Amino acid sequence: MNWLRRIFGRKRTYGDLSEEIRAHLDEKVEALVANGMERKEAEHAARREFGNVMLTEENAREVWRWAWLENFLIDVRYALRVLRKSPGFTVVAILTLALGIGANTAIFSVVDLLAFRQPPIEKPERVATLAKQYARGDYGNGFSYPDYVEIRNQSTAVFSAVAGTTSFERDGLSAGGSNEPIWTDYVTGNFFKTMGVKPALGTLIKPAAGSRFDDEPVIVLGYSYWKAHFGGDPGEIGKQVLINGHPVTVIGVAQKGFHGITALIDAQGYLPLGMAAVTGDLKKDFRTNPESTGFGLIVVTRLKPGFTFASAQPALTVLARRIAKKHPADRKWRNLVAYALGPLSPVSDPSLMNAIALLSALFLTLAGSVLILACLNIANLLLVRGTARQREMALRSAVGGGRERLVCQLLTESFLLALLGCAGGIALGLLASRWLGSIRLMASVPFALDFRFDWRVFAYAFGTALVTALIVGIAPALRATRGNLNDLLHEGGRTVAAGHQRTRSILVVAQVGGSLMLLIVAGLFVRSLESAEHAPLGFEPRHVLNFTIDPRQAGYDKAQASSFLSGLLARVRALPAVGSASLAETVPMGPVDLEMDLKIQGRQPPAGRSPLSAGYNAVSSQYFKTMGIPLLTGRGFLDSDARTSPSVAVINQAMAKEYWPGENPIGRHFSRTDDPKHPIEVVGVAGNSRGRVDFWRRVGPFLFVPLSQNYDYRMPVTLQVRASLPAAAMEREVVDAVHSLAPTIPVMDIQTMTAELYNINSFQLFQIGAGLASLLGILGFALALVGIYGVVSYGASQRTHEIGIRLALGAQQADVLRMVLRQGVFIVGAGLVAGILAAAAIARLVGDFLYGVSPLDPITYLGASVLLAGVALLACYVPARRAMKVDSVTALRNE
Amino acid sequence: MPKRKEEPRDLFPGALEMMVLEILRRRPLHGYALVQHIRERSDELLRVEEGSLYPALQRLLKEGLVTAEWGVSASGRRVRIYRLTAKGAKHLEREVSKFEQMLEGITRVLAPAKS
Repeated sequence: MNWLRRIFGRKRTYGDLSEEIRAHLDEKVEALVANGMERKEAEHAARREFGNVMLTEENAREVWRWAWLENFLIDVRYALRVLRKSPGFTVVAILTLALGIGANTAIFSVVDLLAFRQPPIEKPERVATLAKQYARGDYGNGFSYPDYVEIRNQSTAVFSAVAGTTSFERDGLSAGGSNEPIWTDYVTGNFFKTMGVKPALGTLIKPAAGSRFDDEPVIVLGYSYWKAHFGGDPGEIGKQVLINGHPVTVIGVAQKGFHGITALIDAQGYLPLGMAAVTGDLKKDFRTNPESTGFGLIVVTRLKPGFTFASAQPALTVLARRIAKKHPADRKWRNLVAYALGPLSPVSDPSLMNAIALLSALFLTLAGSVLILACLNIANLLLVRGTARQREMALRSAVGGGRERLVCQLLTESFLLALLGCAGGIALGLLASRWLGSIRLMASVPFALDFRFDWRVFAYAFGTALVTALIVGIAPALRATRGNLNDLLHEGGRTVAAGHQRTRSILVVAQVGGSLMLLIVAGLFVRSLESAEHAPLGFEPRHVLNFTIDPRQAGYDKAQASSFLSGLLARVRALPAVGSASLAETVPMGPVDLEMDLKIQGRQPPAGRSPLSAGYNAVSSQYFKTMGIPLLTGRGFLDSDARTSPSVAVINQAMAKEYWPGENPIGRHFSRTDDPKHPIEVVGVAGNSRGRVDFWRRVGPFLFVPLSQNYDYRMPVTLQVRASLPAAAMEREVVDAVHSLAPTIPVMDIQTMTAELYNINSFQLFQIGAGLASLLGILGFALALVGIYGVVSYGASQRTHEIGIRLALGAQQADVLRMVLRQGVFIVGAGLVAGILAAAAIARLVGDFLYGVSPLDPITYLGASVLLAGVALLACYVPARRAMKVDSVTALRNE
Repeated sequence: MPKRKEEPRDLFPGALEMMVLEILRRRPLHGYALVQHIRERSDELLRVEEGSLYPALQRLLKEGLVTAEWGVSASGRRVRIYRLTAKGAKHLEREVSKFEQMLEGITRVLAPAKS
């Protein structure tokens, strides 16, 4: 191979070249001598005519080189040497960059998880879930079975497959004598095929022959559940387990990494949809009766080849209109929309996507600002070094180094720094995201948060490093190589170019501004958390302890369960420290929200609107006393509201206002849409209380029904106890009471109501947000302080000579102090103004995420400014004091 | 590259190579002889900086237009003698015709306008 020979034969080529040139010169000299010239003179003449021998040789050699690559390697080698020569600078620079890049990488790994990660299925970008848009504009993604069938049959032009699945049923699984909750999806027979999921073991649920899908008693386990609960035992396949007491056969394990249609949450088992009528609350006639799908079916579609979601949309719109004709006026659809499968699936409300996008953008911006602060510090350090290296650069350009080569050389140094920083940053980012992953999410649902670093995270880290290198390197490189040899060598390094110091000052102004912006945004988040914590919830969480019990787990049937629960209530209420105790199907901030559609006599929803509905909870007597929810009129529930007595309900104020405006709702009747012949009488109105920390919304219609009349045997029940004893002591007494009735029943999720407030559904998210913002704020703050201190003290040290003269001429120490401080005050002042403007701009964008605090909250702005200004001026004062103490004699003698 | 002296006229890129190839077409020569040749033939109208010959020769070597071999010159010294290859001959032909075309064009433009 020619080029191979070229590379390896290069030494010889070079040797030939040198010898040839020497021979050329010899010949020339001899020719001149022969013409009568002195030998010495001839030698000079020969060289003069030849030109620069070294340069010629260099140019001739260059012909053989991959100049670009080889120059690069030389630069890298040289840069490594330079960096090694000043280990202090190098370590500081790399650590600073590692912090900046690490923060970005960690934040990006979260964003990656929330915005980009896709499930490990075949072509996930071609799979979507459907949402229906109601005529009044709101969205929903729970479809009845008949609607699902319509969609499946009428969209074959654009979708190659349409499947349905429920999202998250909490079942009980008994195997080998133990009984524990399992979160399951009930899926149509074509679900796995539509998703393109393969079995890790055994088989998956398959479409049965004919149009009817199967309702065989089988279950497919989720991969991680199988690993965690069955030890990954392949022998489990073919065995029988009980789901809510009904025997089903384990036929397979789903593909590793697949955890159902709901993003971030782990589906632990999959059953055929028909089985929901056996183990769950699906009514038997769900295939024909649109009212009896107890839970909405999520519709999953796969695009036909050649279609995009955009090109399929017209077909969906037509389909929505066609199906809408079959619907009652109160739930007309306007449209069907397909949302590609993503980290937020299934999407029912597009505004959530915007919120995630905005929050992601916000935190990436904050992390980016920290990195920029870090960059500015490094740029400053490089500028200082640049000053010191100006002579080196001037000399190198004098001996023939082109400016581009020198700039390349300096940029190589900063790229090298950035790459080392990137490596450190990835390590820090891994640590940080491991820490994020270890935050115990206070939730009883199984989260599937996988903070794995995928290629996107690495690409992001590397990309930031490259940008960093450019930001950090370009200005100092251009500046350092601009030096003019003549000026420099004459100045003797004494004078500092004024412009130089100005650049550095501007960088620090930017730093102060960026840091203040970070501090203010962090402050706003912290204040927002604070005011959310103090916002009225409508109930009194203190001194309430929650215990969750699932009577099925003791093997009780429904009747036994009911009598067990009433016996338990009586026993707990008899405990001396207990003020009140009650049962409830859900707790505020808990994992489950219940909602019912309503028919109210004499009240039609306006044409083309969604049905009337309200959130609800089934509770026992004493509930309002235990939770501290005030009863405004009427009564609460009594033990006399039994299963057989007339149905009653307590509604909240919001519901009274919305559905019986200006009337007294007591004594009015309504019914559930799926049970219209069964009137329910309103017997009381309770104060509004919140089930979520969605303080930016008004409290919506909500109602309470007696647990005795609405007991859903398949749901676990929460026992809530208000007591004067400390939680730990109370816990023991209550658990003892439970076990005295049913010795083997597990008592789950024991928690104070206050702790419940800090679960992932409520304040924990605020906390994580505020914590992250604060961390970034502190990081930026520290970086900015280093920057200010560096610039002011460097400025002062460069002026030692001047200060010495001033002192010698009779200036007072105070004058010197003032002079040095003036520079710092100016920088800090300009930075504050910039920072406040930047913070106001960003805060306005994220105002929606703030609760109880204005995006322009004066306390936050003032507090952050004062803090930053105070500490920054202190950072200026130290070098200023040092300058003041300059001994004029020493300062001048240094020259 | 910093300039060291004012030259009467810069050669256009490729001119030196073309002349070297043409001279080598007539007979193989070594570097010093090549320089002498150019100087004599151009009646000193062209002043080729001697040093710039060597990078040019290396380029031609790399392209495979010439070969080089150590040998002995007429005056009995050990020199590296360059020889035109077939590829070099073809290349020269192409370059010369291109150059003539260019020269023709320039001449026409510079010539006083005819009626």
